[in-house]
Formats: sequence, C-alpha cells, structure tokens
Amino acid sequence: MKKWLNRLASFFSRPEHLILVVLLALLVFLTLVPLFYIGLDTFTVHSAEARRIRGSQAGDLTLYHWNYVFFERASKNLFYKPLLNTMLVSLATCAFALVVGGVFAWLVTRTNLRFKKLLSTLMLFPYIMPSWTLAMAWLNFFKNSSIGGAPGLFTGITGIATPDWMAYGFFPIVMVLGMHYAPFAFILIGGILRNMDANLEEAAVILKTSRWKIIRRITIPIVMPAVLSTFLLVFSSSMSAFAVPAFLGGPVRFQVLTTQMFRTINGVNPGVGYILAGLMIVIGTVILTINQILIGKRKSFTTVTGKSSNISLVNLRKARSPISITLAVILIAISVIPLFTFALQSFLVAPGDYSLENYSTIFWTGEGSPDIASGEPGILKNKYVFKGLWNSFSLSLLVALFAGTVGILVGYAVVKTRGKRGSNMLDRLAFFPYLIPSMAFGAIYLSMFSVQRGFIPSLYGTFAILVLVGTVKYLPFASRAGINAMLQLGKEIEEAAMIFGVKWWKRMVRILIPIQKPTLISGYLLPFISSMRELALYILLVTPSTSILTTMLFQYNEKGWDQYANAIVLLIIGIVLVFNFVINKVTGASIDKGIGG
Amino acid sequence: MPRIELKGITKMFGKVAAVKDLNLVIEDREFVTLLGPSGCGKTTTLRMISGLETPTSGEIVIDGKVVFSSEKQLNLSPDKRDVGLLFQNYALWPHMTVYQNIAFGLENLKWKKEDIARKVTEMGELVKISELMARYPSELSGGQQQRVAIARTLAPDPRVLLMDEPLSNLDAKLRMEMRSELKRLHQQIQSTTVYVTHDQLEAMTLATKICLMEEGVLQQYAPPLHVYDSPANLFVADFIGNPSMNLLELSVNGVENNRWMLGDRETQLVFSPQENGSLPKVGEKVFLGIRPEDISLSLQGKTQASIYSVLPSGMETVLKVRFGERLLSVVVFGRKDFLPDTPVGLHFEGNWYHIFDGTGGKLLATGGLSLE
Repeated sequence: MKKWLNRLASFFSRPEHLILVVLLALLVFLTLVPLFYIGLDTFTVHSAEARRIRGSQAGDLTLYHWNYVFFERASKNLFYKPLLNTMLVSLATCAFALVVGGVFAWLVTRTNLRFKKLLSTLMLFPYIMPSWTLAMAWLNFFKNSSIGGAPGLFTGITGIATPDWMAYGFFPIVMVLGMHYAPFAFILIGGILRNMDANLEEAAVILKTSRWKIIRRITIPIVMPAVLSTFLLVFSSSMSAFAVPAFLGGPVRFQVLTTQMFRTINGVNPGVGYILAGLMIVIGTVILTINQILIGKRKSFTTVTGKSSNISLVNLRKARSPISITLAVILIAISVIPLFTFALQSFLVAPGDYSLENYSTIFWTGEGSPDIASGEPGILKNKYVFKGLWNSFSLSLLVALFAGTVGILVGYAVVKTRGKRGSNMLDRLAFFPYLIPSMAFGAIYLSMFSVQRGFIPSLYGTFAILVLVGTVKYLPFASRAGINAMLQLGKEIEEAAMIFGVKWWKRMVRILIPIQKPTLISGYLLPFISSMRELALYILLVTPSTSILTTMLFQYNEKGWDQYANAIVLLIIGIVLVFNFVINKVTGASIDKGIGG
Repeated sequence: MPRIELKGITKMFGKVAAVKDLNLVIEDREFVTLLGPSGCGKTTTLRMISGLETPTSGEIVIDGKVVFSSEKQLNLSPDKRDVGLLFQNYALWPHMTVYQNIAFGLENLKWKKEDIARKVTEMGELVKISELMARYPSELSGGQQQRVAIARTLAPDPRVLLMDEPLSNLDAKLRMEMRSELKRLHQQIQSTTVYVTHDQLEAMTLATKICLMEEGVLQQYAPPLHVYDSPANLFVADFIGNPSMNLLELSVNGVENNRWMLGDRETQLVFSPQENGSLPKVGEKVFLGIRPEDISLSLQGKTQASIYSVLPSGMETVLKVRFGERLLSVVVFGRKDFLPDTPVGLHFEGNWYHIFDGTGGKLLATGGLSLE
C-alpha cells in the first residue's frame, strides 16, 4: 500500500502527468458524458411534451420520440424530407465548391493567369466572412414579394420579379454555401498542386504525353486525396450549417436537419430534436474520422518535395485576359457587393423603396418611434445592441482565453507524454468537439446542463454555459496550435532549464511560451474570431439576457426588421475583418488557415 | 570529490529494456565515454545520471550521496545532483541573448547579481565568446553556439559534467578543433565527465576510459588502448577500429602446446598464444581477428593474395586484398599506390592477433600469427 502510494506520488510529481490526468477527466466530463445524457434524453418525456404524450409525466422513460421520428405519419415531414434535403444540399454544395475551387486552384498554380496574388487573396474572402453574410446579401439582392415584405435590389433595379426558386430554398442555399466553401477547396487543392513536385508532370512531358492526358492521368490522381478530403469536410460543414438554410429556406419552409433540430428543441418536442442531434453527431463523426484516416494515408501517397518554381505554365493565349478579368470582377462582386447592400439596406426607411428620399440614418442613430419596428431605437443608440455587442465580445474573449490556455496545456501534456496511451487519448478527446456539428454540440450542452448535474447547478440561461460550450467547441483549434508549438520545440529546450532546477510554471512562462509565441497566439485568436461569428453553437443556449450579436441578428431577421439585421451584419463583419487582419499581420495565422470547417 | 556509481541500473520502456543491469563506477575526475551504436542505451544512461530519466530499478550514487534508489524510493531532481548537461542540439533558448542564456540558470540558483556578472564574464573568456554576449543564438555559427552551450553548462560549476554527443552537429574541421578544446577544458576544470558518443574516434581520443554498450548491456569498460588491443568480445572487436577488424571464421585443426592450427578448405594458419589461456578443442569453430594495419604486404617472394581495390588518402592507403575467397582489409602507411590485381604476399608481425570463441564470441587468446 505504501509502495503504491509512493509510486502514485512520484507519478504525479511530474507536472505533465498531473495535467494529463486532470485534462482527461475534464474532457471526458465535457465531451463524452454529455453524449450519454443526450442519448438518455431521447428516451425521456420532457416537461414541454407531457401533454403531448398521453398519460405521461415529465421524466418518464418513453420510446415515443424514436417512434415519432422514424415510424409515424409525421415522420416524412419531420425527418425524412429534411434528411433528403440535407443530403441533396450538402452534395450539391460539395460539387459546386469542388468545381469552382478546383478549377480556380488549377488556374492559379498551373496557368499564366493574370493578377494571381490579388485573385488568391480575394478568393479567401467568402470564407473569412461568416457564411450567413452571403445569405443575407442574397436576400437583399434577390428576395421577392411573394412571402410578403419588400422585393430586393435586383427587382428594384430591373423591375423583374425573381422566381421563388431563385430567391429561396435549395438553389440559393447551395449557391451561398458553395461559394462559402469554394475557397476551402482552393486552399486544400491549391496547396497540393503548389507543393507537388513539378518534375512528376515534366517527366510525362518528356515522354511526349499530351497536356490533357497529363491532367487526367497524373495531376488529378495526385490531388485526389485532397479532393476527397475537401469533399468530406465541405459535406460535413454544409450538413451542419444552420444560418444559411434558416435565412434562405425558412421563408418557403425548406427544412434541413439543423433547422428541424432548432424548431423541435426550441419548441414543444425537444426529445425529437435530441435524436436529430445524435444522428448528426454520428454522421459528422463518421465522415470526419474517414477524413482523418485518409489524411494519415495521404502522407505516403504524395511525394511533396518542396516548391518547384520552374514548372512550365499552361498558356491560356487569347483567353488569358478575359478569364483573368472575369474572375476578378466576379470575386470583387462577391466580396464587395454584399457589404454595399448591407450598408444600403440599413439606411432604407421603407424596405424595397430605393428612391433617394427614402434614405435615413434612423436605424443607426434614431431614438426609435412606435410606428417603426415596435419602437426599437437605432443600433448605435440601442442598449440591447450594445448589450449584445458587449456579450459577444466578452464571451469570445473568455472563450479565447480559456480555450487558448487549455490548448497550451493540452499541447504540453500530449507532447511530453508522447507514446503513452493517455497522450493519445487526450489528443483525440481534445479534437473530438471538432467532429460534432455546432448546433448538435449546443444541443448536447443544453441536455447536459439544463438540470443540476452533481455539484454543478443548472446552467441554462447563464453566461457560463455559453463560455463553456464555446471553450470546448473551439478547443481543437487551440490544442492543435499547442501541440504543434510543443512538437517544434524538442524536449531539450525545457530540460536545459530543468537541470538548473527551474520550476515548472517558470519554465512555461519564461521559456516555452515566449519561444512559441506566434503559434500559441493563434491558438487564442482563432477561437476568438470563430466565436465572434458563431450562431448555430450558441442559439439553443442563449436567453434574452445573454443575447449575443449573432443571435440578435437572427431574431431581427426572423421578425423581418431587415435594416437592423443589416446594420448588425456590418458591425460583425467589421470586427471579424479587423481582427483577422490584425492576427494575420501579427502572427501570420488567419481564420482560413484553421483546421477548416 | 565526485565519484559516480551505478548499481544494477535497469531502464524499461514498456517491455523493451533500454539498459540492462548496468554496473559502472566512474572515478573522480575521470573522462568516461559511453560508446555504442544508436539505440544501445548510452544516452538513456546519461539521462538517468542527470536525473531527467528515472531508472526502473537500481541505485545511483554521486559523491557518496544516493541520488536514486528504487529500493528506498529515492529520486533527487536534476538540480539537486550538482550535474551539468550539454545537449546534442545545444538547446540554447532562442529568445534570450548569449548573456541571458548563461545567466538564467544562475539567477534561478539565487546567485547575487554581481556574482552572476563576474561568472558570465569569466565563462565568456574561458570559451572565447566575450564579444558575442549581446547576440541571439540564431546570429551565431554552429561552433559559437556550441561554445555558448558549454559556457551555460559550466557556469554553475557542476562537479559532474555530462555531455550528450555534443560535437555531432558540427562539421568535420570544427569537430577536430572542439575535441581538443574539450580535452583542455576537462583538464582545466577538473570535473568528472561522462561523454556520450557513437563516434569511436571521439571516444578513443578523449576518454580516459571507454564504456562500450550494445542493446543496453555493457560490453567492455576499459582505457581506450586496452579496448583496442584486447577487445573483450567479437562485438567490441568489430565496433572499434576503422576500417574494422578482419574476422575470419576458421576451425581448429590441431592444438599442440603453443601452436594452434587453424584453417578451412583453402587457408591454413598457425596461431601462437601469448599466454596459455583456455585451450580450444579440436574441431571447434573460432573467429580469428586481424586488424588491417597488422597485415603487411610484400611484392617480392611468395605471393598468396592479390590486390582487389585501392583507396589511397596520402597519409595511409586502405586496400582490399583478395585472399582465397575472402576479402581482407589492409592499411599501409605512407604514400603508396598499387595496381589492381597485383599479386602480393601477406605477412603477420607482432602479437596483436585475436582468437574469439565461435559461439559466444568471447576473447580466448591474443598472440602471434603465421601462414602455414
């Protein structure tokens, strides 16, 4: 017994062991235990459902939800149709993103396209902006009056009423998500193309292979793993997208799994929503696990031997200038016009009327009058907007602080105990939240913390639960940064200080952290920006007192107060862009260099 | 004064033993090299002495003080062992200047400000880096970084100096230079030094004693020339020396007092042991070890071999000689060159030929050799 205690003491005398064990316990509690509770919740009668399920009381066990989702008359509209919609939207989005991003990547790396640098930068823009900004822009531009409200700019300028299929539902959702994720395909495929040894292609040229055959037999097979990986990432991201289908599909009742989940959990049938959440977690985890396996294999497949600059570029000849200019115009349009429409819409007193006397700053600085939007004051004078801004800001700040710090500790513990079982487990657990769709992650936290669990009181409605869910959800970004930073260091750097008896915290603060500052800072900043623009993760958990900017935007949009919504969009984009720019300048990291998603 | 004792040290990584039951005594002010191929456990041994690695079992005593004992559940941290450790990749802190790198450890040991300044200056002079104090490690050449690392290690006056392949990241010329500097330093500071290397030349030239290891097991622990002249077993014989020793597998055809007849189908040799050790039995297999420089060649007279390849380097010439079906390495000194396929005679002079046990590989006898 004493020997055993001694051994325990000597095990924990190493800080990395202590951190490892504590973090493992914490992450099991925060990622795996909630999964158990959400499973349990799918078999439980919730208080909102007591009347619906005859003769039951809240808390009873029931199979009602499973039955209702899969085997009832309502199942078709509740589950099967949204599932089909989700799959179709995700597949079409993947196809769109891959074609656009892939062709763009090829043009930039393998042809004599003009303004490559400018175009590459512009191409990242749709990804840096939150996906719902494009959706808002689409509405500003193409919405019609068939569901009530004013028509968009397009109709305002041309006088042509846009058909429903173009304004709402499947088509615009795919266009917007596709455009949002095309940069992602560009980054991944372009990266492979750029790093691929040009000799592989040149060897084929020497053997007198035709240009087309080289692309088909050599280039495409080599980029295939990247394509597959992009496909899986884009698929799982579009599947878990919430804001875009909510904005664009809502008006015509085009439902996908996420919007259904939101409706049911927020409404009268949470048990059903939890089943949908569970299902999405399973699909998401499977897809991204396949991707991880593929990435693991990819190493042995591509021979990346560094940049080879003297590759002969395909001459676009006469098409060179037209293609370059067209691309530039489209990309500028996509990145600038949305901003312009937000500004424009936010100054219109009566939506849809684009005549000059209709412009006003009432929605920015107005005091609020009872005849407009229930007397809501302009957003610069609106205490709720300021509250939301403050909430968003402090939430993201806390999330970044916690996630970043825990990320460093994860990195330290994982790298220092590398090769041991616990190290692998912590590595995987810290990455696990990444596999779970945002809204489903919000749902499991709702299910876990809406009631008292052991010594933890019910957290629903508190600011703490938002901080908690954000921290865990964005921990993967931070722990990747932490692990990379520690891996680069090598253990000797720390051991050189251990020899002098430097204490653990001093080794961290004086040696390890200062050396890896840039990488570690990105572990703080990526969670910050991501949290700033997040909607789906938080929407199930906010209450009026904890509203943040994105959820206010969602509410204004649902109420049809377009001007407020647009003004807030501008505000958020401003913050995100400024921070992304600062981060990029300071550390070289950027939201588009995150793990993706 | 520090004398280091390792008693029955074993280190397991999972189910693999990195070091097996190692017993080693390093006397005060000795310069001992731990030598062996990569993965033989030499670095692990060094790290266990430093306290960065914890042995699975055994006891380590430094200067009469038990610093580790698996039985007594005792394990002193590195800073309480009074050791200095020089890392292979120097492990200089890139965000600190040379001065800060050297001073940081002293600050941590709660030295007074003026003592630190004095010591850093002294160290700078000792390893000749006084003008570099304000620079960052990335602004230094490899050799200068090495010197800074040495200064940082020596600054707190450790009585035991541990070095882990400190010269392997330097180019050949610089390595030669630093080697002699290290030897001079050792004489100057008079600390007990343990030095890990896989480079036998380094081990031979620097050490007062070599500890040769293979797969975690001590093979031989003796002064360099002793290791060279009477290798304890086949592994040592093969590892030490460049080009390596010729090892011929032969059978014992007859043993009469001072003449052992060795041979196979094409070769017959007579070995005369210096002292009568254990006699091999007739019919047994043994290995005959011949150092390349212990074969001399003659162009006149009876010839038994022919030149296969010639690698002249000026000071010496390394040859391969075809002897029956075997190729023997031969080193001849001086400016010599030969034409391939020239017939040559082989001569064995001196008494540095070894017979190893055919099964266990243990050294059986050392003595003279002649052709039948």
